[in-house]
Amino acid sequence: MEEEKEAVMVTPGEVLGRTSDVKAGRGAYAALHNNTVYASLTGFRHTVPPAPDSSDLRPTVEVTGHKAHGPVPQPGSVVIARVTKVMARSASADIMCVGPKSVREKFTGIIRQQDVRATEIDKVDMHLSFHPGDIVRALVLSLGDARAYFLSTAKNELGVVSAESIAGATMVPVSWTEMQCPLTGQIEQRKVAKAAS
Amino acid sequence: MAGKGGSTPATYSPSPTTDKKKPSLFNEDLARPDGRSFHQCRPAFFRTGAVNAASGSAYAEVGNTKVIVSVFGPRESKKAMMYSDIGRLNCNVSFTTFATPIRGQGSDHKEYSSMLHKALEGAIILETFPKTTVDVFALVLESSGSDLPVVISCASLALADAGIMMYDLVASVSVSCFNKNLVIDPVLEEENGQDGSLMITCMPSRYEITQLTVTGEWSTPKINEGMQLCLDACAKLAKIMRSCLKEAVSDSQE
Repeated sequence: MEEEKEAVMVTPGEVLGRTSDVKAGRGAYAALHNNTVYASLTGFRHTVPPAPDSSDLRPTVEVTGHKAHGPVPQPGSVVIARVTKVMARSASADIMCVGPKSVREKFTGIIRQQDVRATEIDKVDMHLSFHPGDIVRALVLSLGDARAYFLSTAKNELGVVSAESIAGATMVPVSWTEMQCPLTGQIEQRKVAKAAS
Repeated sequence: MAGKGGSTPATYSPSPTTDKKKPSLFNEDLARPDGRSFHQCRPAFFRTGAVNAASGSAYAEVGNTKVIVSVFGPRESKKAMMYSDIGRLNCNVSFTTFATPIRGQGSDHKEYSSMLHKALEGAIILETFPKTTVDVFALVLESSGSDLPVVISCASLALADAGIMMYDLVASVSVSCFNKNLVIDPVLEEENGQDGSLMITCMPSRYEITQLTVTGEWSTPKINEGMQLCLDACAKLAKIMRSCLKEAVSDSQE
C-alpha cells in the first residue's frame, strides 16, 4: 500500500485496510472475524513503512493528531507524584503526571518499604525517605490492588526531586540521602533522585 | 422488557395544543403531526465540545429533542469498587425539570441509565484503561419523543470526543407501530398513542447490533421490517455523526 500523502481524517469504526495488507498501530485495531483493520480514535490516518530488517512487509497504519483520553498509569511508565502520607511501612502518593503528560484527575499510588531502594531493603526507614508534600519520580510497578498503584523508587534516577524544608524553602540535594535547606543550612534525610543532566 | 413508563404522565392531562378529545394522529394524506412521511427521520444536529470541564462532551438536537452528554475520565475508581482488569463504564441519564410538557421533578431514570450502559459497553474497548472508570452523564434538556436513541447517539459522540477507544460509533433509532404502519423516529404524541415500539442501537460500520428493545405486540415479519428500517436510518445517522467529529478535528487543527 502506498503511503498517504494527503492526511485523511478517520473516525472510530472506519475501515483502514485489510489485515493481510496493513498492521494495526496506535488508535487502530484488527477485527479478526472479517480480517479488517478499523480505527478506534478520531484523527488523521498515517501509514508507517515497515522496518527494513523486519520479515513482516506490511506497513503499520496509525491514527494520530487528536487528543487521546487523559493518560492512565501503565506498568513500566515513569510518573511524578506528590507524597500525601508517610507510614511505617509505606507511603501514599497522588500521581500527578504520567511521563510528560499531566493527569486530569489524580490516581493514588503507594510506595512500599521494599520498593524504596534496591539495597538494604530491610533497613529502610520510611520517615527518613519521604515527607508529606515531597514531589517524587517513581516507576509504576503494577496496577496494584483496588486501592492504589504500586510505585517503586528503587533506582538511582527515582526518588524525591523536590522537597520543602521546615523553613519553607525548596531544598537542594547534596547526596543521594540528604537534602539541605538554602536558608538555614538544615540537612534532612530523603531518598533523593539522581539529577538528570 | 419494561416500557418507557417514565415518559407517560401518571394522570391524564389534555395537551394545550389539541382541542379535540381524541385527535387523529394522521390525516387523510397519511402525513404525521409534523408533516413528515412515515419513513422520514427528523433533522439531526450534533456538536462536540459543549462542556469545557468534561474530557469529552456533545450536544444533540433531533427535532425538538435536545440532549447534552458529558464524559469524565478515565479516572480513578472509587475505593469501594472491586479491582478490575478492564475499565469500568458508569452511565447516568437525567431529565431537567423543564424537559417535559408537564413540569417534573427532574428525576434520574435508572432504566434509561442501564439501557445506555448496555448500549455503550459493547462498543468501548475497555481493555485500554484498566482499573479506571469512565463516567457518562446525559442530561435531557427537552423531551420531544425518541429521547433514549438521541441520548445514546450523543453519548457515543461524547466518548469519541473524549478520545476513548471504541470499536465503532454507536447510532440509535427507534420506530413505532400503529396497526400495520411503521413510523420511524416518533415524536411525543406518536409515542403516547403507539401500539408498540422498537429501538435498535448498532455499530453501523461493523453492522453489529449492541442493543435491541421491543415493547408491545409485534409479529415476526413486522419486527424484521422495523429492524431493517432502523438499520438504514442508523447508517445515515452515523454519517452525520462522523462529519460532526471531522469538523471538530478540523477546527482544532486551525
